[in-house]
Amino acid sequence: MGAILDFIVNTLGGLWSDSGLNVLFSDGGWKNLVMILISFVFMYLAIAKEFEPLLLLPISFGMLLTNLPMANMYHPDLWVLVDGHVDYGKVLVDGGLLDILYLGVKLQLYPPLIFLGIGCMTDFSPLIANPKSFLLGAAAQGGIFCTFVAAGLLGFTAAEAGSIAIIGGADGPTAIYVSTKLLSGDGAITTGNIALAAYTYMALVPIIQPPIMRAMTTKKERAVKMEQLRVVSKTEKIIFPIAVTLIVSLLVPSAAPLVGMLMFGNLLKESGVAARLIDTAQNALMNIITIFLGVSVGATTQAEQIINLKFGGVMLLGVIAFSLGTACGLIFGKIMYIATKGKVNPLIGSAGVSAVPMAARISQKVGAETDPTNFLLMHAMGPNVAGVIGSAVAAGVLLSVIG
Amino acid sequence: MNMTLMMLAEKVLKGTEKLSGIEITSMTVVGLGVVFGALLILVCFLYLSGGIFKRMGAQKKNAPAAPAAPAKVKTAPAKAIAAAPAASTGDEDEIIAVITAAIAAMSAADGKAYRLHSVKPVSRGGNGRSAWAQAGIHDATRPF
Repeated sequence: MGAILDFIVNTLGGLWSDSGLNVLFSDGGWKNLVMILISFVFMYLAIAKEFEPLLLLPISFGMLLTNLPMANMYHPDLWVLVDGHVDYGKVLVDGGLLDILYLGVKLQLYPPLIFLGIGCMTDFSPLIANPKSFLLGAAAQGGIFCTFVAAGLLGFTAAEAGSIAIIGGADGPTAIYVSTKLLSGDGAITTGNIALAAYTYMALVPIIQPPIMRAMTTKKERAVKMEQLRVVSKTEKIIFPIAVTLIVSLLVPSAAPLVGMLMFGNLLKESGVAARLIDTAQNALMNIITIFLGVSVGATTQAEQIINLKFGGVMLLGVIAFSLGTACGLIFGKIMYIATKGKVNPLIGSAGVSAVPMAARISQKVGAETDPTNFLLMHAMGPNVAGVIGSAVAAGVLLSVIG
Repeated sequence: MNMTLMMLAEKVLKGTEKLSGIEITSMTVVGLGVVFGALLILVCFLYLSGGIFKRMGAQKKNAPAAPAAPAKVKTAPAKAIAAAPAASTGDEDEIIAVITAAIAAMSAADGKAYRLHSVKPVSRGGNGRSAWAQAGIHDATRPF
């Protein structure tokens, strides 16, 4: 009887020591608990508040999975560089499900494929009809380079500063693409940190931007009604993606994977002869990649990587980058307002940060607060889509210069 | 200046090293310069191509205007009479001719005479947008 009791106690003890609960309540386990709670907050924001749910939900669930003690779904040690390279054979043999999915991030496959889908869904007509919008898209990238200055002065390395700065581009796939290329994976800041900060602020665009927009513009400026845009011909729409690919890729070759795929998707859309390919690229392919990207990026947010001072710095600089990008776009919008003698509403400048279409919707919303009959949406879509191209060019510059 | 030019030529910033003041300044100048430069080239291209397409569009509009006039002579054999005070120039004449032909066919089928009084653009509540466009705007601009 005693032997049976001993056996039961020993078995239960073994089960307890191997359980996640034991790790959760042992030394350092509180960090996992905090991360699990953070994942719940993100799930709440995605489900209840509908803040970027298509991305926040996979990211938050990946965060939950990776922080479950003893589940071993993601192994950061497999991604440590050996002689400057990741041992991909070891990843395939010893990796868990999330390691395998993370291959697409590490090999920079997902961001360009997401850009393909975005290209299929984007209408560049407002930009073609009003080419000046490109300058607002360029101005909003000022946030990236101002944050690069701040990160550099705070003592971050060149790769870390570049990765943090790109958060100001307000473009998740671009941020992931740049940080994966620049960061080695075994440093204090990882792609997961950058992606988490970027998507958090992208989800919070409706909260971050409006106060800056109201503070930097007068009521008179916000009330400006812009002239209706001209109709763009089909030929122009077809030439546009080809010309952008040629011009941008020849000037900044590092931006070619992102800009090239974005424009390829757009050419498929505008050509009107590839309905099946468009359907796949903007629906099935895009959805599959979004799930893989979200879950695997979420998996990189392990407690040790997130609960530290450096990540606090990333989050702080991230919000600065976003705010500065918005401010730079607005300043250029005000310059255009003066230069055109009041024909351009400066509010469309803030849409130069490339959170499509949320940033354009914010311009519309703030403009409508002053005059409900003012429809700025289509005018703001120009700088908004220009911002996507602008942030890809800025990413290309960072990748070209930082080795 | 040299530093800026070097940056464009090769990868001069080592990812693992901290940045000096000169490197930070040069990177910012190069970065913003290249972004503005690239997008400025695209602006010029779009203005140029836009101008060409506008001119081509204008030429196309003017070209068919002359031969359109004799097409007006075509009249239906039935008693259907077209009197369109609101729209009666260029391509619209052909559209009215088609409508008149349809009415003539109708007239021939049931033996009654019909008269077309006018062809006017549809009024959409004064704001010039269709119900679908209104629904789209409402959806895209509703409060968050």
